[in-house]
Amino acid sequence: MRIKSVKTLESTAKKARGQRSRINTEVLVCAGTGCLANGSLAVAESLRRTIRRRKLDAKLKLKLKTTGCHGFCEQGPLVVIQPKGVFYKGVKPQDTKEIVDRTLVKGEVIERLLYRDPNTKKRVRTYAEIPFYSKQLRIALRNIGKIDPGSIDDYIAAGGYAGLAKALTEMTPGKVIDAVTKSGLRGRGGGGFVTGRKWKTCRNADAETRYVLCNADEGDPGAFMDRSICEGDPHAVIEGMVIGAWAVGASQGYIYVREEYPLAVKHLRLAIEQARERGFLGDDILGSGFSYDVGIARGGGAFVCGESSALMKSVAGEVGEPRAKYIHSVIRGLHDKPTVLNNVETWANVPWIITKGADKFAALGTKRSTGTKAFSLVGKVKNTGLVEVPMGITLREIIFDIGGGIIGDRPFKGVQTGGPSGGCLPEAQLDLPVDFDSLTAAGSMMGSGGMIVMDDRTCMVDVARYFLRFLVDESCGKCVPCREGVHQLHQILEAICAGEGEPGDLEKVESLSETIVKASLCALGKSAPNPVLSTLRYFRQEYQEHINDRKCSAGVCRNLFTFRISEEKCNGCGACVRACPVDCITGELKSLHSIDAGKCTRCGACRNVCRFDAIEVV
Amino acid sequence: MTAEKTVNLQINGRFLQAREGMTILEVARREGIPILSLCHHDALEPVGACRLCLVEITHPDWKGWKGLVTACLYPVEEGLCVTTDNEDVRNTRRTVLDLLLARCPQSAVIQELAAEHGVTATSYRKSEVETTCILCGLCVRVCAVKGCSAIGTAGRGIRKAISIPFKQPPPDCIGCASCAHICPTGTIKYRDEGDIRKIWGHSFKMVKCESCGRPIMPEKQLEFEANKSGLHPDYFKVCPACAQQQTVQTIRSSFDMRTVQSGDSAQLAG
Amino acid sequence: MTKTLTITPSRCLACRTCELACSFKHAVDGRPGISRIRAFMFGEGRNQVLTCFQCDEAACVKVCPVEALSRNESTGAIEVNTARCIGCGLCSIACPFGHMSHDRASGVAVKCDLCGGEPVCAAFCPTRTLEYG
Repeated sequence: MRIKSVKTLESTAKKARGQRSRINTEVLVCAGTGCLANGSLAVAESLRRTIRRRKLDAKLKLKLKTTGCHGFCEQGPLVVIQPKGVFYKGVKPQDTKEIVDRTLVKGEVIERLLYRDPNTKKRVRTYAEIPFYSKQLRIALRNIGKIDPGSIDDYIAAGGYAGLAKALTEMTPGKVIDAVTKSGLRGRGGGGFVTGRKWKTCRNADAETRYVLCNADEGDPGAFMDRSICEGDPHAVIEGMVIGAWAVGASQGYIYVREEYPLAVKHLRLAIEQARERGFLGDDILGSGFSYDVGIARGGGAFVCGESSALMKSVAGEVGEPRAKYIHSVIRGLHDKPTVLNNVETWANVPWIITKGADKFAALGTKRSTGTKAFSLVGKVKNTGLVEVPMGITLREIIFDIGGGIIGDRPFKGVQTGGPSGGCLPEAQLDLPVDFDSLTAAGSMMGSGGMIVMDDRTCMVDVARYFLRFLVDESCGKCVPCREGVHQLHQILEAICAGEGEPGDLEKVESLSETIVKASLCALGKSAPNPVLSTLRYFRQEYQEHINDRKCSAGVCRNLFTFRISEEKCNGCGACVRACPVDCITGELKSLHSIDAGKCTRCGACRNVCRFDAIEVV
Repeated sequence: MTAEKTVNLQINGRFLQAREGMTILEVARREGIPILSLCHHDALEPVGACRLCLVEITHPDWKGWKGLVTACLYPVEEGLCVTTDNEDVRNTRRTVLDLLLARCPQSAVIQELAAEHGVTATSYRKSEVETTCILCGLCVRVCAVKGCSAIGTAGRGIRKAISIPFKQPPPDCIGCASCAHICPTGTIKYRDEGDIRKIWGHSFKMVKCESCGRPIMPEKQLEFEANKSGLHPDYFKVCPACAQQQTVQTIRSSFDMRTVQSGDSAQLAG
Repeated sequence: MTKTLTITPSRCLACRTCELACSFKHAVDGRPGISRIRAFMFGEGRNQVLTCFQCDEAACVKVCPVEALSRNESTGAIEVNTARCIGCGLCSIACPFGHMSHDRASGVAVKCDLCGGEPVCAAFCPTRTLEYG
């Protein structure tokens, strides 16, 4: 039933919290996309059946919930048991009976299901003690993993919509804008524009109609922060948007979700229905007289539609091509009306800022990059997953303390931040603070939060080639510098990786990149040369080696190296023989093996399985 | 209604005034200052696709910041300083033409334009696709302005191409050939053979001049234009030469009915 | 009160000076082919001169798809905005009198614009067949 006033909201929240306090144990099964893919739904079902059969929910005052992403995706499926904070990883359906018998009924901890710290080699019992979590500070992700994203009551019990209530009844739109400005919140989608200033300009634009939109297109390869928020805490996004709509004076909005996120679409849809039902969306919200409603617009599989003007065209049903933004979207955006477009994570921060206060947010992070940032930490790092940290933390802390370091303890080579618009930073830059400005100054950018860690077996020329290939596919094709220029850059890099690089190629890349940056119509084109420029800046010798010596020392570009088994290191275990897909390795057990270079396809499978680092690149 | 505001700006050091809302290109053209463009046409909304009209702008309030913007779209503002021809602008233009030459090595128009800017051979790899289309989009845009929207673009990025729905003769095409006439590189072709016009896979039967029998326009187009303009179809059934002859004869016959000495004259009011 | 171009055909010698003056005024190379006024010889006293009637309800204006034709309020003439013209030729077909032409060289429509207020045809006509006032 509708919640028509703040008083009703407060009593509903109290009631929900009261209900919650009568639960002794919460069993939280992660149902974020990562754990789902690992089979967590079967785990949840199995637990649910066992609990129900034995009527343990009543007997033990137990509640089982599926939640959004806990973040530690590497270790899924995850089950967390509160309030003890017991953290089980890699849970399978066959483990659930034991979990019920021993942990839920008897209060025992199952050692083999606990996370083992690879550095101390010890098992860690609780959530809070796991290094992956201890350095994190979750604000945008505050509810994820704790609430059932399909339950608006869970959200309300956790303090949800209290921010909206405060904004509508205790603050004027101007005061809301002041608070958001004072908090220092900057766009989390990569642009880093001061959010409060964007809202102010929109509010001041002369128009009858305004729109408030959410960018949930999340196109950067390897980024899944926004997906996790939409799946795990969709109401936070909605609440943020209603607050924003109140602040700028909009009555209609859309959440633009990429087509490839069906679970996010599902959860957002459900959340919107529930919010409408309860009166947080629609007419006369909480009795304030203010009306706002939101719809979902789905993308069609184009990275370029994450660009604000292309997104708005797509929402309007046209082809998603950007336009020159000499007149900004806050003045003329969707349907030519003033429009505020913010990223999912930006919206998720807004209710927290309103309830806790702008000062609290501003006190976190750094002076010009306040608050926290969510990152998807992926690549050659031990603890792959979703993390949220205060701005200003160093790359080293994220990769080594939270990330646990490089898989196999191999040497760190570089970290790519900001997706296809960002750049690669080498070891020398590991102590850089992660914030908007420091990373940009070093030739990369924070971007939307994708962080790809690389080791010595990554070829940086190949990385640049990969991102250029992506951008060639995703360029809308409207303007010449991006459509033709990025294609030409890609061609040059393909040639270099194939061993057909020529002297003068690097200078050509640099000069063409300069034009593309200056002359492209939109941010996709303007930032397209970043991966190649940053790798040239920090790994130029690798490019030169590819061109002059026709060699790829990382052992990636197949025409530019061969594999050889080291006499000193090989102990004849034969693991490589078993791994080789083309049977080109020969050797007797316990003696030196050898690779037939003629047959070898240089796939690297042998190198991946060798525990003695005996496969060399020559 | 707010009064139209006038702004003061500089182009290449010349102090000028313009109405707020005009683009840099409009002001430059008014002043006879040349700015190159390929995708611009006064009849169509500018899109800033070819990037050849890029000019450098700065402003005393911008703390030394300067940047390149497309003159066709950038609205003039008070105090704007525009440079249409410095080294940076020239280099950028040259690279854009170089890239176009790589895409369309066979296009005489591009070859000429590129040569005028010092690019006689492309520095880049030639396109595998043999095309003279520079994707300026003028054809699509003029077709939309005409009210037909028969052609459009398909594909994205380097695979983008001017296309017809499902690669079939477009049902909305009226055969007016405005697309072919506006194409700067002559990529879109059509052929009039006798009283048949062949364009976009269509064979349109043409209406013939009632007087001399020469083909005037496709029947489908006549229907469309009559409908759209509100003019009777008869307006479109006589070719201009015959129309002029008929007019002369009509005036002659009406004059023959009066005496010459009275010096009757026709007043052509303005 | 706008001036009008008055034609008194009985005075016309079909000397074509008007055509020459017009074409030189509008094109540096003076191509008579694109003159916007035309003289027709039928014999003394029976010659005719034709140029645009600047119709009140002009068919050319109605048919133009891009609003490239509009009236100049001070001269009263309908003018072609050559930058807007897309060269479709509809105006030349629609004009019932054949006064509109299509210049192949420039690709745009061409018509009498009363030279912006000082029509050279009238200035050069030796017999006052064409008068502007």
